Parts: sequence; C-alpha cells; structure tokens
Amino acid sequence: MDDIPLIQRVIAIIWPSFITGGIATVLFTVAFDPAEIFIDYDISRLGIYTICFFLFWILGAITATATVYFLKPGETINR
Amino acid sequence: MVENTSKVKRNANDAKTNAEAERSISAKSKKIYPREVHGLFAALRTAGVASLLGFFYIVPWLQWDGRQALLFDLPERKFYIFNMVFWPQDFIYLTLLLIIAALGLFFITALAGRVWCGYACPQTVWTETFLWIERKIEGSRAQQMKLDKAPNSFRKIRIKFSKHFLWITFSIFTGVTFVGYFSPLRELAINFLTFEIAPSETFWIFFYALATYGNAGWLREQVCLYMCPYARFQSVMFDQDTMTVAFDETRGLPKGPRKKTVDKSDAGLGDCIDCTICVQVCPTGIDIRDGLQYQCIGCAACIDACDDVMDKMGYDRGLIRYTTEKILLGGHTEIMRPRMVVFGLVLLATIAGAFYSIVTRIPVGIDVIRDRNSLYRETNEGLIENVYIIKLLNMDKQDHTYTLTAEGIPDLILKMDVTDISVKSGEVVELPVRVQVDAYNLKQRSNEISFTLNTVGFEKLTATEEARFLGPAFR
Ligand code: SF4
Ligand code: SF4
Repeated sequence: MDDIPLIQRVIAIIWPSFITGGIATVLFTVAFDPAEIFIDYDISRLGIYTICFFLFWILGAITATATVYFLKPGETINR
Repeated sequence: MVENTSKVKRNANDAKTNAEAERSISAKSKKIYPREVHGLFAALRTAGVASLLGFFYIVPWLQWDGRQALLFDLPERKFYIFNMVFWPQDFIYLTLLLIIAALGLFFITALAGRVWCGYACPQTVWTETFLWIERKIEGSRAQQMKLDKAPNSFRKIRIKFSKHFLWITFSIFTGVTFVGYFSPLRELAINFLTFEIAPSETFWIFFYALATYGNAGWLREQVCLYMCPYARFQSVMFDQDTMTVAFDETRGLPKGPRKKTVDKSDAGLGDCIDCTICVQVCPTGIDIRDGLQYQCIGCAACIDACDDVMDKMGYDRGLIRYTTEKILLGGHTEIMRPRMVVFGLVLLATIAGAFYSIVTRIPVGIDVIRDRNSLYRETNEGLIENVYIIKLLNMDKQDHTYTLTAEGIPDLILKMDVTDISVKSGEVVELPVRVQVDAYNLKQRSNEISFTLNTVGFEKLTATEEARFLGPAFR
C-alpha cells in the first residue's frame, strides 16, 4: 500500500464520498421537502441542503477512511 | 516517511533501467510543466475551451420571459429551462438526461477514443485556461522551470503573487457564475459586489472557487489520474478499431538523434529523432512512444508537436497521429461495427423516448400525504374517517380549475372544505380532505384508495395518486 501515493489516498477518501454525498442529497431532497422537516428552525432551504450535503459527505468520508485503512495488506501489519 | 520509502524504492529499482526508475519516481512528485504547442489540434482545443467557457459564463445572464433562462431554483424547488419548468416530480427526466449523457460518452469513446478528455472536459477546459494565465505571467516552459529553481527574490515573489492573484480572481468569478445557476445571477452579482450575500451562497461560491483553483491550478493531471472514473474504464470501451493517439513504431524506430543532412536509412534510423518534444508538451507527463496508456487524455498535443519536428526535418507528418490499433498493424478500420451500431441505436432510442415523454408530459401533479397524527377516527355517524393533505401542482403555463375524486372502497365519501379548486400557473395548493367509509366495507386494516384530479375543460390533464386508508382490524 505504501506505493499508493498519498495524494491518491487522500483523493480516494474525499472524492468518492463527495459524489455519493451529492447523490444522497439530491435523492433525499427530492423525496422530502426539507423545509417541512425543519419547519421549526429559521433556516433557508439552501442552508438545509448545504448542511444535508455535508453530513452525507462526512459520513461517506468516514466510511472511505475506514476502507483505505483496512486496505493495508495483511502481511505488513504489526511488523 | 515518504522520502524514506522512495529511497528504498530507488535501491530496489537498481536493477531496472535508469529511465524506468526515474519515471516511477517522477510519477509521484515531479511537477509537470507542459510546453506550449501550436497546430491544428491545439487550435481545435482552444476553440473548444473558448466556446465552452463562453457558454458557461454567458448562459446564466440570459433572460427568458422576465426570469433567468436557465435556473435551477433549489429554494423554490423548480428548474427553469427556457420556456419549460421542471419540478422535483420530474426527477425522471434528470435521470434520463444523465443516461443519455453516459450513452453518448460511451458512443464517442468507442468511436474516437478520449476526445471528450482532450477537448471538452471541464478539467481540461479550466486547466488550459490556468495554463494560459501561467504562461502569460511566468513565460515559457523553460522560464517557468528556471523560476521555480531560482532562490526567492522580490521578482520571483512578485511573479508568483500575480499568478495566484489572477488565478484566485478568476476562480471566484467562476464560483459566482456557478452559484448563479442556482440562485438568480443578476441579484447574486449585485449582492456579491455589495457584500450582502446570504451565508450559504457565500459558502458555495468560495467552495466552488477553491475547487476550481485547486483542480486547475494545482492538481491538474492528478485529477485525470486519480479522480476520474472514466479514465479507468477506458479499456472496456476501447477496441482495436477505436481511434487513439499513437506513435507509429514501424516508422519511428529505431529512434535516435541525427543531423538533418544525414540520410536516415544510411544511419539505420527510423523517423523519430528522440528530441522528446512530445514528452515535454504532454499535460500528463507521459511518453506516447511507450504505447497506449491510461494516463493519455488524447489531447493530441504530442501530434502537433511531432508534426512540427517532422516538418523541420523534412519528413512526412504523422509519426504520432490519430489512428487505430488495426491500422497500425496493417489492417483497416470499420466504423460501422456491431458495437457502434448497438450503442448508436440504444442512444437514439433513449433520446427519442426522453423527447417523447417531455413533449407529452402532463403538466399537473398530485401528491397525497396522510395525516400522521391519527391513524383513523370514528365520526358521530359511526363512519371511519381518514384525513389527508392533497398537494396540487399546476405545472402548466395557464391557471386551471380542478375537480378531485376518490375511489377504491364501496360507498366512499370524500369531504373537503372548498368547492372550487383553482390553482394559478406554477403554484402549489395544499388541500385538507377527509375520506369517510362504512366500517362494514373495510376488508382489512389497510386499504388502497386512489385520488384522481381532473382539469375542468381539459380532459387530458389528469393525474392519479394512490394512498392508504386505515381502519380498525375488522373481523
Ligand atoms: S516529437 Fe516526434 S521525433 Fe521528437 S521524440 Fe517525439 S516522436 Fe520522436
Ligand atoms: S500522450 Fe499525447 S495525446 Fe496523450 S495526453 Fe500526452 S500529449 Fe496528450
């Protein structure tokens, strides 16, 4: 795994999760009108979309980080 | 850490040739300074870049019927595309559009390789623009390399500062334009210039600006190498008949420098003079003479560069050229091969289907939401009652009056407070309704009913939506 450049690993974490975050946001906001869910808060729809997107993105990035971490070949662990 | 591993690598690579070792290291860290090229394909790319950028920056300023012609109004949940208005309910069209785009890309790729990458991909388009700015400020490839090697000086800092200043300004302009597709650009631009912009818009402007600056200024070919899924499955779409940028080995090898006056066949050499200009112009830093590589974005910069060299040497052009594997192997290439016919037909069918469904789209929508507070209740008359909110969408360009009916359970009674349901063009009306049935007509706890909306005076404008009617568990 050490021959995967750092930049490639960073990209593997933040980039696919960015895409899935975007898709999840679109699907979520098509299915539910967020203004109805957050009706009690004083926040614009665009603001809700933004927050939604970041939550999904962070969630995806956590998953991707775990994936990249567990990708390390077995024989190189604990040595 | 990284230093160490690369040293270890270098030792391990001792057996390999120098060139190979250098390449594997350079792939990791070395900054690529693409040399400027002139020629047919460079001109085509400039044309592509200029028209796409022009399109991107101008379109959001266009007006149509007193509003922005192309606007994806997220807060209002409406998409305006010239005279058409799309709603979240029309999500299917977005999906269709994406499928068409993907099929189109497959088709083009199987036919002509990665022409998308070389001429139209936003990554290429913005990188080319940033490279252009860089060349205007820092000078040619050689000057740029010299400047980067030079120790810090007032001149160096001034030059670097101007470059980044221009890059950042251009990126912010790009960010404002981008957000202008989602929030009316005219207001946005004014608000931006007077610092009165809403927080989430500000955020997206700078986010997009940062992405532009990072991708086009810093990451560049790394985006193609590590971020682009398309580059990774090019081998699936390519076949021996796909047009690619290739080096003609039969003609070019053995390579080697020679004087222009030397006769190459006397010297036992092919046409390649090993000047490495083709490598210097390559934006992804590869050597096309090593054969087709996934890093090659098919930009044809090496074709232009090599043709120039061939002209100077008095050899025929096209040592590097657009060709197919079959032709290089001495065969000839069919354009109408089964793969192309199938791709083409599927593509045409999807376009036709999408077009048909948009043209025949029924501009009325209905959405039924069950009242979540109670499952059901019994009325004074002993009937079972469910409450719904009906959302009516008039997506037409004129106002309409509608009638609402419900069915699915015998003797069902539909009650609502209003008698006349009128909805203005482009508006949504929420209508609370009550449905009452006799418990004896309920076969189970959860029953299917449907609401139908009819437009007064327009028989064809109708929409139906299913809903659940809940009752007591009976018998
Ligand atoms: S530019 Fe042409 S002649 Fe020069 S090294 Fe490349 S292939 Fe050979
Ligand atoms: S090898 Fe040639 S066509 Fe491919 S990316 Fe490099 S310059 Fe462009």
